[in-house]
Amino acid sequence: MLESLQHLATGFGVALSFQNFFYCLVGVVVGTLVGVLPGLGPIAGIALLIPATFGLNATSAIIMLAGIYYGAMYGGSTTSILLNVPGETASVITCIDGYQMAQKGRAGKALAICAVGSFIAGTLGIFGLVFLAPPLAEAALAFGPAEYFSLMVFGFVVLSNVTGGSFLKSLMMAVVGLIIGTIGLDPVTGDGRFAFDSPSLLAGIEFVAVAIGLFGIGEVLVNVAQPAQTLEQKVIVPRFRELYPTLYDLKESIFAILRGAGIGFGVGLVPGPAPVIATYASYMVERKVSRHPEEFGKGAIKGVAGPESANNAACQSAFIPLFAIGIPFAPPTAILLGALLIHGVTPGPMMISEHPELFWGVIASMYIGNFILLLLNLPFVPVFANILRIPKKILLPLVTLFCLTGMYTVNNSTFDIWMMILFGALGFLLRRWAYEGAPLLLALVLGPKLEVAFRQSLMISHGNFEVFITRPISLAFLTATLLFLLVPLLQAFRKRLRSATATA
Amino acid sequence: MRSRLFLILLAALVIGGALPLQAADFPTKEVQIVVPWAAGGATDLIFRAVAATTSKYLGKAVVVVNRPGGGGCIGYTEVANAAPDGYTLVSAITPLTILPHQVKTAFTCKSFDPIINISSDPSMFLTRTDAPWKDLKDFVDFAKTNPNMITVGNSGAGGGVHLVALAFQKAAGVNFNHIPFPGGGPSVTALLGGHINAVSVSPPEGIPQVRAGKLKIVALFADKRFEMFPDVPTVKEQGIGFAMGMWRGLVAPKGTPPEVLKKLHDAFKKGMEDPAFKKSAADMAVNINYLGPADFGKLMVSDDEFYGQLVKEVKR
Amino acid sequence: MKRRDLIGGGVVFLFGAVTAVLSAQMPIGTFRAAGSGLFPLCLGILLMALSGAYMVQVFWSEKRPNEDGTSAAKEEGLSLPVIAFLTIMAVATLFLHTLGYAVVSFLLMAGLLRVLGLKRWPLNVALSLVTAAASHTLFVYVLKIPLPRGFLGI
Repeated sequence: MLESLQHLATGFGVALSFQNFFYCLVGVVVGTLVGVLPGLGPIAGIALLIPATFGLNATSAIIMLAGIYYGAMYGGSTTSILLNVPGETASVITCIDGYQMAQKGRAGKALAICAVGSFIAGTLGIFGLVFLAPPLAEAALAFGPAEYFSLMVFGFVVLSNVTGGSFLKSLMMAVVGLIIGTIGLDPVTGDGRFAFDSPSLLAGIEFVAVAIGLFGIGEVLVNVAQPAQTLEQKVIVPRFRELYPTLYDLKESIFAILRGAGIGFGVGLVPGPAPVIATYASYMVERKVSRHPEEFGKGAIKGVAGPESANNAACQSAFIPLFAIGIPFAPPTAILLGALLIHGVTPGPMMISEHPELFWGVIASMYIGNFILLLLNLPFVPVFANILRIPKKILLPLVTLFCLTGMYTVNNSTFDIWMMILFGALGFLLRRWAYEGAPLLLALVLGPKLEVAFRQSLMISHGNFEVFITRPISLAFLTATLLFLLVPLLQAFRKRLRSATATA
Repeated sequence: MRSRLFLILLAALVIGGALPLQAADFPTKEVQIVVPWAAGGATDLIFRAVAATTSKYLGKAVVVVNRPGGGGCIGYTEVANAAPDGYTLVSAITPLTILPHQVKTAFTCKSFDPIINISSDPSMFLTRTDAPWKDLKDFVDFAKTNPNMITVGNSGAGGGVHLVALAFQKAAGVNFNHIPFPGGGPSVTALLGGHINAVSVSPPEGIPQVRAGKLKIVALFADKRFEMFPDVPTVKEQGIGFAMGMWRGLVAPKGTPPEVLKKLHDAFKKGMEDPAFKKSAADMAVNINYLGPADFGKLMVSDDEFYGQLVKEVKR
Repeated sequence: MKRRDLIGGGVVFLFGAVTAVLSAQMPIGTFRAAGSGLFPLCLGILLMALSGAYMVQVFWSEKRPNEDGTSAAKEEGLSLPVIAFLTIMAVATLFLHTLGYAVVSFLLMAGLLRVLGLKRWPLNVALSLVTAAASHTLFVYVLKIPLPRGFLGI
């Protein structure tokens, strides 16, 4: 422990050099920008800047590129709150309560609490990264196909009704999401499914297209459909007093932030789009522990603070598998791996001993980066909040163009734009029919992984279903799922029994 | 009225003036390399590295554009239909010759003109260093006495390394249990966690772990030994006549003018010989293997026939 | 209200049915050696069951079905502005590669602004020009992201 602190001190020495500080600054600014623009994510941002790092030494390069990754997590919430457009795939949940807060004139509070929550969670995440990396990495390796399957089942069951409301309708949306997730190449056999000989469909439906379509374009269309007079109105202009969170708001949110940080850090170790799942989990937890669950969906500050913190913490813990094992669990860290390789650093168990100045330098720069981001984002809150003053007549087309452009930059594909438009129309219809989009998105993310894990497990075990129960971790998750389903049923049954005996 | 006429004349001048400028001197604007896979993968990194060094020899920027999807189909289809003017190229790797035999594609390797080959990497099987098989002989013997028991992971059903594994099991006369994963990363992770017995990969996948001593190369499918690990014998040296690798090169849409192809070839060759690229390649354990357009074209055609045959046998 | 919910449920049911029919045409296999079609088939059937149950629930309920807390939007349906919006977006996407990003973004902005009621053309054109130019500069020059160029070369 003491040794780690010593190393950390050396790391700060490296990170605070004029050069590295500058690159950290560049990284986080680009990251924020990239996060704010919908569609364009850290993947594109990092990939674009890799060539710019060729002349730098490895440490500076990684400091800058890592800054883009966690910087994007700060920026992603901005458009989610202001425009209901997820700037980052992980910012989808922030749209739910964040946008409602903005509609009620509390955009500034939402933006600010995001920055604060992200800062706290990011900082805690770094400490976790430093002290817990090796054991956590080993734990992550213990997850094989059977364990992933059970984990996904658990996540799916628990989170599909993340926003509350009718369980049946949420489940329907989730199944629709699962079906959409099957479009494309069958991951096990390699055959096309529902592809109709179109190579674009063979690639599957891009998650970002569905997210931006359902939430962003959907909201735009809902606004467009409103009678002309409402379009003339501006949104409730935020008053100066309402711009920043009060002490009360901070007190309300601090536990949500801490819980979110914990959840995010843990979930971030799961391969795949962990930040998204972390935000869903945090929102669910907040809703369940809150004394006023009915506020959620209408602008509860905890519904923003928790998920955003989870988002950031997951981003930090995503570095653990990369640095400790040398395997990236998510696309952005995969690109970072590439960048490391190009600069001659081989991540993995040897990295920390072979390149201590790199590892500790990057860790220290993460702390500095989080600090810079907090300082950067807070003053801009009023600026961003005032974007809502633009009359809807002009704001809506701007948002549409914004979404369209951002969407294209993800895969350079017009097919994705078509999907976005399609899901935009769908999002509009879903609102009319009172369905929620969040379960659909979750299912789109989890579904393919669930199916792959299931089939892989059976292939390895030669068709033996026992594999899900004999392995301890898998058994634990399946039991938890069962309990989650049964306990409310038992409680309802007991209540009915009690009321029956009472009236008898 | 007069102003409108003026505007029309101006527009005509601009358009008319721009057109001949395009054909005159190649390149007049940036060249795009389409990589039909996601950013951060092995192919993406190699081509980003060569694009960076070639820019200065070509005189204009060389930019990598990712067009992932369909196992490569999307990117290849797009470039096969692109204008053959030399500004849109695509990174051709072995799956280009495999895909048309597996799914109905709008292209084959003959839809492109070869420019240059950049790297050729062997494929290999990795196991954990604490695995019960000390070397290839142990591994193959165990597979013979326990058919379909050894689980071998790959980066995708029907993908390059999966086919390598299938071809190897045929050459060795054994049967493995092939487990697909959505990419090289997850397959190596599963091996590290002990959930599968072995994994079929191509560098740089798995290299960091071998260097760190957590994984070992149990079978190397190459004609000569790996520079980075000179103590590892190839499968050929141990009695099984089998070698299969992955090449990575650059092609353009068919019909690109020969002078343009030559300019591109010369620039990329210099880019490959640039010390910065050589260092990047060495760090990634990637084997630089230059082939000119004629040889590269021949390689693609012969692999096309080979994989056509293999896929037919496998798809029984 | 009820009719709207029934239609919504019916559409979902149809989606499930189509999925089931299409997946039945793919290799199914068994649970042990699943073919491509097995998973989607199960999902399609499940969806039909769920939406069927929902429609029954709606049909038999006395109260308004929205007492579960989710609020249906109260505005007009697929009105003309919505369709116009979607059409303009579709047209823009169709012409993205032929006309190039700069031109298309200008036309998109101008069209959408007009749909939303900005009738003064000079203001409309000015706003659209500025937006198109600004976003083009931002993406292509500042961020160096390639965006489609049309036959005009911009």
